[in-house]
Amino acid sequence: MFWKLRLPLLLTLFVGAVPIVTFFLTEHTPVIGPAVPFVRDRVESYMVIIAGFALLLGVVSVVQGSIRKIERRRPGWPFAISLLTGLLVMGAFGILSAMRVGPFQGLLTAPDGSDTPFYWMTRNMFNPLQAAMFSLLAFYIASAAFRAFRVRNVEATILLAAAFVVMLGRTPLGEYVFSWLPGGERWLPQVTDWIMAVPNAAAQRGIIIGAALGAASLSLRVILGIERSYLGVKE
Amino acid sequence: MTELIGIWIGAFLTLCIFSFLYKDNPFFRFAESLFAGISLGYYIGIVAVNTLVPNLFRPLFGDFVGHAHLLIPLLLGLNLYTRFIPKIAWMARISLAVYIAYYVGINMVQKLQGEVVPQVGSTILNPIGGRMTPVDNLILIVGVLSVLIYFYFSIEHKKAVGVISRVGIWFLMLGFGAAFGYTVMARVSLLIGRMNYLFIDLLHTTADLL
Amino acid sequence: MNLERLVHIDRRIIYLLIALGTTIPLLLPIGLPVSSTPPVERLFDKIEGLGQQEVVLVSFDYGPTTAPENNPMAQATLRHCFTRGVKVVVVALFPIGGVTMAGEILEGVAGEYPDLEYGVDYAFLGYKDGAQAAMKQMMGNAFAEVFPQDFFGTDTNQLPLMRRVVNHEQIALVVSFSTNIIGEWWANLVNAQYGTPVAVGTTAVSAPKYYAFLDSGQMLGLLGGLKGASEYEQLLIDAHPELMTIYQQAGIYTAMKGMDAQTVDHAIIMLFIIFGNTVYFLVQRRDARRKQHQA
Repeated sequence: MFWKLRLPLLLTLFVGAVPIVTFFLTEHTPVIGPAVPFVRDRVESYMVIIAGFALLLGVVSVVQGSIRKIERRRPGWPFAISLLTGLLVMGAFGILSAMRVGPFQGLLTAPDGSDTPFYWMTRNMFNPLQAAMFSLLAFYIASAAFRAFRVRNVEATILLAAAFVVMLGRTPLGEYVFSWLPGGERWLPQVTDWIMAVPNAAAQRGIIIGAALGAASLSLRVILGIERSYLGVKE
Repeated sequence: MTELIGIWIGAFLTLCIFSFLYKDNPFFRFAESLFAGISLGYYIGIVAVNTLVPNLFRPLFGDFVGHAHLLIPLLLGLNLYTRFIPKIAWMARISLAVYIAYYVGINMVQKLQGEVVPQVGSTILNPIGGRMTPVDNLILIVGVLSVLIYFYFSIEHKKAVGVISRVGIWFLMLGFGAAFGYTVMARVSLLIGRMNYLFIDLLHTTADLL
Repeated sequence: MNLERLVHIDRRIIYLLIALGTTIPLLLPIGLPVSSTPPVERLFDKIEGLGQQEVVLVSFDYGPTTAPENNPMAQATLRHCFTRGVKVVVVALFPIGGVTMAGEILEGVAGEYPDLEYGVDYAFLGYKDGAQAAMKQMMGNAFAEVFPQDFFGTDTNQLPLMRRVVNHEQIALVVSFSTNIIGEWWANLVNAQYGTPVAVGTTAVSAPKYYAFLDSGQMLGLLGGLKGASEYEQLLIDAHPELMTIYQQAGIYTAMKGMDAQTVDHAIIMLFIIFGNTVYFLVQRRDARRKQHQA
């Protein structure tokens, strides 16, 4: 019980307290002053390394899941093969780049200016795939705006009006709308600037303050061991 | 030649993704799964080259005595992977506790000192000075307070609180409308980039290389 | 008039119109003018006012997903720094493509300035995991602790620029080009704890939230989306007309060129919203009349 639960909770308390305590204490603090930057800097440097290991946790999960899918011939199993192929080839290129073996001289261009294999795959496969995946959202937002954006009440009308002013005002079209009036080409952009700087800022600030207080209280609960779901412990 | 082949592969994969707009099909599924695999392989590469080698392995194996303390993050990092071995999966909690606790601690200071205090301070301090006009400052104060009251659900939103909450909702609608306008701008920009790649970069590069 | 058919237009017609609205202005540029806004002007004026030995930390906190918005911002800001002779230290904290974006953009822009010397006028330290931990350590302690080598494997302390840039005390300005939360971490962590001025060039999705940080002074300037990028490009060309030749090259993607397509697509989407609501009200009115007749 100690090793499985109490030790992790104790570690959470002590390690979680480090960034908080070292924020208030400095090397000039009496007695423990010299230890403050030492502990803070050591912990920060360790976290950079542990974050690297944590980022790769997903790789193991996905490899396990894909192998299981192929073994059991679940629907869509051929696509698991393309997933694993992409992962293994790109991952191998990455590790060879770290070891600087043969043509694998880093993540970008080789000293002679040619693309390294890792960079070639990044530029011609990773970048286009990722960009294309997210660019689909432009089509979806247009379709969703047509189908779902209905002016049913006062609140929806305010939302739509603000959206229209911003969509017009943040393009050159906004300057043309009232340009037939003297000085009119600055009206819509100025109204847009005002909406962003005043009512929008007010709303966002209210959300930021509320969310920040909630996040801070959750952080305190985690550090004090009240909130334990991150350890996989059912309350 | 490899550049030419590469850009046409990129164009092919882009069109595979776009084919989903017509309907789901094997080309899209292939591109989607390839994307997932290549993304994870990319992570492996950048973590290995940018973090593990320079910050861990090179100092540790270059001067073991001077950097023996780096065994601590190495063991904690490797310990994270014990979660995949059912018999000793509980050991991963130790590393998880250390990792999550640190970022939770940073987050607490960041949220209070970096968000709550400056945001509250700039709302209530100097209401008739600063960059904005006094009227705009007043609107900002009213907006922030009404939004905060709207989000306070521990009392019923009736009478005075109900009226103030309604004002808060109007401010939120203005904010969300602005956010929607900007979101449209963001999504459209991504498509502009892809279309530029397909119709300008691809053709220019092909013409230059042939 | 069959209102049901109008309400249920095949979505692929909408997709086709959006695709045409994006592609045609790219192939046949309109050349719509761009005017600047105060958040962009403040960043521009800050860099314009920096001295030649002052150092700007540029952080690439975005990936290929938002490259069409962030790339032009990053290019314009780096060109501005290099034209002014300001020193630049480049890092990347975004794991999904940040370092390759940083390398590509820096290589391209630095290549336009043959007199620049790597290690003296600019340095590329690469990517580091941990974001907040890395920020705190490099700004609070030392860059060399987080980046013992630069991106190319050279010891950081061997670079002349990095021998004098230790931590936040030698940084005049941080500019983060971001796609998500890392941009605001520069403001609520680095600016809050070390007082370093921070400006953020962000994807348009995040820009509305950052107006709150702009107003509180935690962000000195803000480039919001493609519009923000195009404003900075215009300001740069107005102040340094010699850069016009770069921005007028055929086949080069710039934010100003992208604004034509942006304008057309915005107009299409607004027309669709108006059309959808018009049909909605017509259907409501028709149904109300039918109910009346039945009653």
